[in-house]
Amino acid sequence: MEITLNRTDLHGLYVTAAGRLDLDNAVEYGTKIKDYIEDSDEPILNVALDFSEITFISSFGLKVILELYKLLKAQNGDLKIKNVSEQLMSPFKLVGFDKFLVFE
Amino acid sequence: MFKTVKSKILAITIFMLTFLMLAFSFHVYFSRMNTKQLMVQNYKFSITASPFVQGIKNRIISSIDNLKSLALVGSLYYKTDRSPDLTNKAIERIFENYPSTLGGGIWFKPYIVDKSKKYVCFYAFRDKNNKIIIDKNFESEKYDYPNQGWYKQIISEVTPERNIVWSKPYYENQGSYTTMVTAGTGIYVDGELVGIATVDWELDSVIKEVYKMKPLEMTFSMYKSGNVIKNSFTLFGNAKDDYVIATSNPYIDNEAVIGHSLKEIPWYTSADDLYATTYITYHKKKYIPFVNKLKNGMVLIICLPKSEMFNKVNNFYSLLILSMLGIALLIPALLYYSLNHYIINPIDKLTQIAHKIGKGEDIQIKIEEPEEFAQLASTFDNMTKDIKSITQERAKINSELSIAKSIQSSSLPNVFPPFPNRNEFEIYASMEAAKEVGGDFYDFFFIDKTKFMFLIADVSGKGVPAALFMMTVKTLINNVSQINVSPKQLIKLINNKICQTNKQGFFVTVLLGITDISTGETSIINCGHNLPLIKRQNGKYEYLQLESNIALGVFEDSEFEIYETVLGQGDIIYTYTDGVTEAINKDNEVYGEARLCDCLNNIDENKPSKIAQKVKTSIQEYTDSNSQSDDITMLIFKYNGASRNIKTFEQIASQENYKQFYDWLHTACKEWDVKEELSNKLDMCAEEIFANISFYAYPEKEGKIETVIEKTDNSIIFEFRDEGLEYNPLEKPDPNIDLPPEERPLGGLGIFMVKKMADSVLYKRENGQNILTLIFNI
Repeated sequence: MEITLNRTDLHGLYVTAAGRLDLDNAVEYGTKIKDYIEDSDEPILNVALDFSEITFISSFGLKVILELYKLLKAQNGDLKIKNVSEQLMSPFKLVGFDKFLVFE
Repeated sequence: MFKTVKSKILAITIFMLTFLMLAFSFHVYFSRMNTKQLMVQNYKFSITASPFVQGIKNRIISSIDNLKSLALVGSLYYKTDRSPDLTNKAIERIFENYPSTLGGGIWFKPYIVDKSKKYVCFYAFRDKNNKIIIDKNFESEKYDYPNQGWYKQIISEVTPERNIVWSKPYYENQGSYTTMVTAGTGIYVDGELVGIATVDWELDSVIKEVYKMKPLEMTFSMYKSGNVIKNSFTLFGNAKDDYVIATSNPYIDNEAVIGHSLKEIPWYTSADDLYATTYITYHKKKYIPFVNKLKNGMVLIICLPKSEMFNKVNNFYSLLILSMLGIALLIPALLYYSLNHYIINPIDKLTQIAHKIGKGEDIQIKIEEPEEFAQLASTFDNMTKDIKSITQERAKINSELSIAKSIQSSSLPNVFPPFPNRNEFEIYASMEAAKEVGGDFYDFFFIDKTKFMFLIADVSGKGVPAALFMMTVKTLINNVSQINVSPKQLIKLINNKICQTNKQGFFVTVLLGITDISTGETSIINCGHNLPLIKRQNGKYEYLQLESNIALGVFEDSEFEIYETVLGQGDIIYTYTDGVTEAINKDNEVYGEARLCDCLNNIDENKPSKIAQKVKTSIQEYTDSNSQSDDITMLIFKYNGASRNIKTFEQIASQENYKQFYDWLHTACKEWDVKEELSNKLDMCAEEIFANISFYAYPEKEGKIETVIEKTDNSIIFEFRDEGLEYNPLEKPDPNIDLPPEERPLGGLGIFMVKKMADSVLYKRENGQNILTLIFNI
């Protein structure tokens, strides 16, 4: 899975990826972002995940997103999910993530 | 040893020549002997007729005549007036008549003429001047003729029967001083012996001639050239008194042996007549003695040296034999040369060339002579060319045939399973072609959305024509079958088309089936083909007793009986060509239909490909190493029942196989046209369950996951099975989704999602398996 991490400003990170966030890819996706945040000299506080190219998300993907959310919240950061298709919203809704995640 | 033509002919020739030579040698031997005998006769004649021998003989005869005349005169004197003058005149007259007589006379016994006169005789002789002189000196006391040896011998030996007596030769030392012989005869008057008459024969001249006879010169009338025999020698003697008169011989003192016994002379022979096959050897030389016995008891032996007698004959025969030998050697040599040159060499040449041609060399044969071989060579040459072109053609044909064969077999569907997405039926077919391209074929295809046609066929004949016809028929059936008509019409149409294209009188037996795979309704048409076997779901294979129709391509507008049946789930139809049942073992017995049925019933496999394999093995075991004479073709159709749209997946439950798993699922969704929303749900649920089983079901060892997905008209049933730890996900409490995010646990979402997304979730534990069934409404 191709994952691109772009700094938007000193504390901002924009993540684009294409494909499925499933058993095979979700862990890789999450690890790459977490590693980046932890390795950054400047604290990353705002992370935006671009979902326009994501075709599928399973519970493994949801788990990774919750993990990220918790990581950022602990530093008073913010996690935004961008360009989610109708299709992909249902899993989020199903598990009640729509209640705290910000979709743009 | 005599295996070659050459040696045989040579052996025969040598044998024949040897035989001829032997015959010739015998002939020469005997003819030489005859010639020699003839020659000896000729020599004998020549010797007898020679002037020398005749001269002696004449002298003897004339001496006797002379003697008789004298005796007559003597008796006349005694009987008549006893006139001495008349008597002397008569004697003179006689001497004139016998010029060779030296001397002779008439001698009366003492006192018989006159009692007072003791000596009465008349004697005449020739002097040196050949004058006849009457000698009266013998009537004297001094001579006293009655006491002379010759007188005594003659007077005592004569008898009236043996009236002529020859004295021993003697040397006369009173008058003529010569060697003499005296012949005497008695004078008888009235039976009384009154005196004798004598004639003297002077031998000196004869002796001189004998001496001269070295060599004896003779001329043979037989041989025109003068034949002078040298080295001959002579013996002249008196056989009666055993007395040598004269000899001629270079090895002895001839004068010294005069008067000796004849037996002292080495070449003397007492043979009665001249010439014998015997010869005498004298001083290392062979001589043939010719013996002339004379009337007066004398003998004249003339010895001729054998080598010189037969010199010419021997030379002639030697030359003859030598030339024959030369011919005898020359003939085989010529024959050997001719044989070699005209027969053996051309044969050798042909043999060598044939050998080279056999090895593939390109050689032209040229023999100009002899004509027979020239013809043979040119025939040979043509044959070589023919063979070459035939071989090339055959190679070409062979390669074309093998191409034809591969085209033929590749024209038949040979990828199995041919319809992997179809689970309503399974089909398997195979053709094992015999050596040449044959006429068997099979085919199967959909003729519309649900109707599936399968067929097996056998074209009459073999080889390329049959193969071409087969291709035509196959294409034709395929094309015609696309027309939407009833099976009955279809087969009629096919038959008519085949009849129209078939000008060569081929025909084709076909067993054809059309199955509606959504219902199992099946039409089977048997056009002169072997009856198929059918196995109903739980039954046994048995021959399907079909009405047999005429083979295709025979008569246009033929009508065909169709067999209609409905296949149930698991029913199997086994079709084949006669190559199966007519496979022959080493005892020339066919495999047969009963054996085929038994074989099929002993197979506990339901997969067509496995069934085909087992039948083939059975046939191979039966025929053993016998070569396959006909195509072995079979087609097996198994009906699985109407489609239930089921897909199965079975794999080791591990994350590595996840991609494979969701590809399978996606393919199914795509095929069934599942809407994206539902397919996403299926995707998510599938992943959760797959991950769950992968991570937790088999903590210690690897284990399987089996999934079956089935689409019905209004739902999708998704079933998961594993043989891992017993786990009922339904017993797990749902997570509280209303908690603030900080308090929410990371796990436990998966099963919750599944429960939420599926319309119903069922779990059961059965036979050590966890069986989780998800049902989604469409």
